[in-house]
Amino acid sequence: MNDAYTCQDCIDLLLDYVDGELAHELRARLEAHLSGCQPCEDFLKTYSATTPVCRRVLAREMPESVSSRLHQFLRDEIGKHPAGR
Amino acid sequence: MTEAPVTTMRLDAPAETRNGARVVEHPEDSELLRRAQRGDMAAFEALVARHQNRVFGMAARMLRSDDDAAEVVQEAFLAAYKHLPEFRGESAFGSWVYRIAANYALMRLRHRRVTAQVEEPEGSPTFNERGSLIDDVADWSRDAEAQTLDAELRKAIDDAAQRLPEEYRQVFLLRDVEGLSYEEIAQAVGDSVPAIKSRLHRARLALRAAIDRFYAERAS
Repeated sequence: MNDAYTCQDCIDLLLDYVDGELAHELRARLEAHLSGCQPCEDFLKTYSATTPVCRRVLAREMPESVSSRLHQFLRDEIGKHPAGR
Repeated sequence: MTEAPVTTMRLDAPAETRNGARVVEHPEDSELLRRAQRGDMAAFEALVARHQNRVFGMAARMLRSDDDAAEVVQEAFLAAYKHLPEFRGESAFGSWVYRIAANYALMRLRHRRVTAQVEEPEGSPTFNERGSLIDDVADWSRDAEAQTLDAELRKAIDDAAQRLPEEYRQVFLLRDVEGLSYEEIAQAVGDSVPAIKSRLHRARLALRAAIDRFYAERAS
């Protein structure tokens, strides 16, 4: 029986591999494939890079106008129910 | 809108980093919290100021609307204020408000009546009959992780994230951007951890493919 992983097998397991949650034997088989497959090595590198890159792009700052409205809203609402509520 | 459950969404106390996403903890929060619980409005406003950006960022990413996000943030901090007397500090104040806001955001998303038929994201790799990768794969990881992100790359990623089907987008944002655990996400969206992982993987593949296309087009 051929236990070697295909590219498809490896890519399907990438999430658990990157998370460090693959069982030892599965991890060994995946890494055996990676060591002989440059496209999969490159795929893994780009898959791993995707999250930090996207996180930087998708980071959002609260606009100052929204901040001002938030604080005014809270003052107005809390003023209706002061301490001792 | 009915009030989102404030205390029923159990999330673990945040670690210093969660899945690479940095969680800012303020040692002085506990003192401000004590004062706020005694009715010190200025102390509560200081807590709000410390955590509003993170809460807003999450809501804006989830809801794709600054106006909706602003409302969620208002509702969340107001709910936090109303429930201050019951807050026992099992988790950090920022994490608690964050959970409240996430609940409100998810309620709004459900209310938007996402179509019952879930679309599949684009960008899955292609294989031949032997399971070998057919696509040309270029390693752009170092370029993309460079200090300054190209404005066009930012747009390509932003557009790709917008195009993700909602259920895939939610999971990606909650896990890879906000740093929640799989269990927290599964509880929040009402699905199993394997289903969450599957959607996350597909979302990552789609975003990876978008970045791939960007570099391929730039090289041509």
